[in-house]
Amino acid sequence: MTGSAAHGPVLLAIESSCDETGIAVIDAGRRILANVVASQTALHAASGGIVPEVAARAHLRWIVPVLDQALADANVTVEDVDGVAVTYGPGLAGSLLVGINFAKTLAWAHDKPLVGVNHLEGHLYAAWLADATADLPAEPVFPLVALIVSGGHTFLVEMRDHLTYRLLGQTVDDAAGEAFDKVGRLLGLPYPGGPAISRAAEAAGLHDAAFPRAWLGDSYDFSFSGLKTAARRTIDEARIEEGLPTGKAAEAEPDARLSDAAVAELAWGFQDAVVDVLVTKTIRAAAATGARSIVLGGGVAANGSLRTRLAGEAEAIGLPLIVPRPALCTDNGAMIGAAGARRFAAGERAGLALDASPSLPLARR
Amino acid sequence: MTAQGQAAGDGRRDWLLAIDTATARIVVAAGGLDGTPLGATIWDAGRTHGEQLLPAIGRLTGEANLRRSRIRGVIVGTGPGAFTGLRVGLATAKALAHELRVPVAGVSTAAALLDASGAGPLGVLLLPAGPNDRTVVRGADPAILLPGGRALELRDADVLVAVDLDGRAPADAVARGEVARDGLAAALLRLGVGRLAAGGDDLARLVPDYVSLPRGVTSESGEVEWSRDPR
Ligand SMILES: [Zn+2]
Repeated sequence: MTGSAAHGPVLLAIESSCDETGIAVIDAGRRILANVVASQTALHAASGGIVPEVAARAHLRWIVPVLDQALADANVTVEDVDGVAVTYGPGLAGSLLVGINFAKTLAWAHDKPLVGVNHLEGHLYAAWLADATADLPAEPVFPLVALIVSGGHTFLVEMRDHLTYRLLGQTVDDAAGEAFDKVGRLLGLPYPGGPAISRAAEAAGLHDAAFPRAWLGDSYDFSFSGLKTAARRTIDEARIEEGLPTGKAAEAEPDARLSDAAVAELAWGFQDAVVDVLVTKTIRAAAATGARSIVLGGGVAANGSLRTRLAGEAEAIGLPLIVPRPALCTDNGAMIGAAGARRFAAGERAGLALDASPSLPLARR
Repeated sequence: MTAQGQAAGDGRRDWLLAIDTATARIVVAAGGLDGTPLGATIWDAGRTHGEQLLPAIGRLTGEANLRRSRIRGVIVGTGPGAFTGLRVGLATAKALAHELRVPVAGVSTAAALLDASGAGPLGVLLLPAGPNDRTVVRGADPAILLPGGRALELRDADVLVAVDLDGRAPADAVARGEVARDGLAAALLRLGVGRLAAGGDDLARLVPDYVSLPRGVTSESGEVEWSRDPR
């Protein structure tokens, strides 16, 4: 094995809930011995979003090469590992069952224990991961508040101990990442919208675009559909100002694009509205629950504005912010290995009848 | 669930495993290295392929006194058929062949059904595709999707074999379909042995026989992005 010697159970971990085929080898729930991801972003770019049937087909096509690479990188075989962890929900049914049946059979072939992992807790446990060659950083301190934001999820959760979750809030309509995709498309930016909007926003000079915030009273829930509608209206107004067609007429003339300056302003304004709500609610939740650390995860955690602002406000109230590196924030097998190791250590085992659970909740309120 | 054939293994015998999850009835069969059937478990899939397949394989090995470690090749039906079943079957077959380090052979379920039906070279197979459409397979031609409401054009000498279409196809075609389903396990082994002898299929590239592109997708699009150690 590469890096430091094994000092805990070594798990092979498989993630296939959405559009990334990820397989990792994780030592003691923290040390990444291998983490291979085949991302389908390029496959879904043409349709501007994930097509479930395309995703499921790609998982079946790529799962063996991903496994081979992960085993080679960690220099292990499935016979060497102590168990197999696999995401069984939530996610796309057709995608989940490729990983689940693959994982079950790997375990069965060698009589290895199998552990089912909730994809959402995988995102939380990404905060415990460390690279094979790096020093093990301190673990996040409980109680903690975690904000997970991606194209598929937006939720705020409290953890007072391992595997113990209290859902504080979640989106009542679109995921934040979905809103980025949709507004990115309205602005004529490429898919996925998150990184494209973030890049465009950097060029904003005025910082004067105003978008509404959906505070939803005192609740920790989120809503992005109103913001999306407001964005459409504001973008249309900007287009009219520049003498460009809107609505159906705009679709017929994809080359009639807003000026870069206007796109930058609108991208900044939209991003600011999303980040403002995410950060404000997270900080308020941390203070209200007596949290001793804050965790940020999910693909949108790669957004520089969100990271910077949350880091600043966490520091202001004296709390450490833990954000895994970007590739551990997007879907991957390593995070499933990190969470799976906790379940494994707690004695949990899944049977061979383990099946996909597409709407598996993380926790009830 | 029904078990066919007699327990034939002595625990040390090398054998082939055949799986088909493309139709409404799942087939798990064991065969000798020459394709001779040694036992089979067949049941109506319902919606729980994923829960039942691996436990059924485990039971079959127990009942037939065959060892997992003595599997020398995996034969898997590639459809066309229901996607959920095919994904479960192929993911299972791939993992098993990978870990036992044995070859895998993808066998067209349609070819195996036609072979088993006794319809001869003029056999035309008709399968359901989703709730409304049907799939048509004529000999070795690629399968064609027949949208709901569109009538099947038959030539005079065609011998129609209808599987999983009770009440939605002529009675004699449905009867031939029953014969085909009853003979599917043996046909998979028969066809699979030849493919395995020829070296089998590329484990990574083996995918179901998809008759159509996903809804809303107009062409095969590119590759995936690949990362060994994403940073
Ligand atoms: Zn995710």
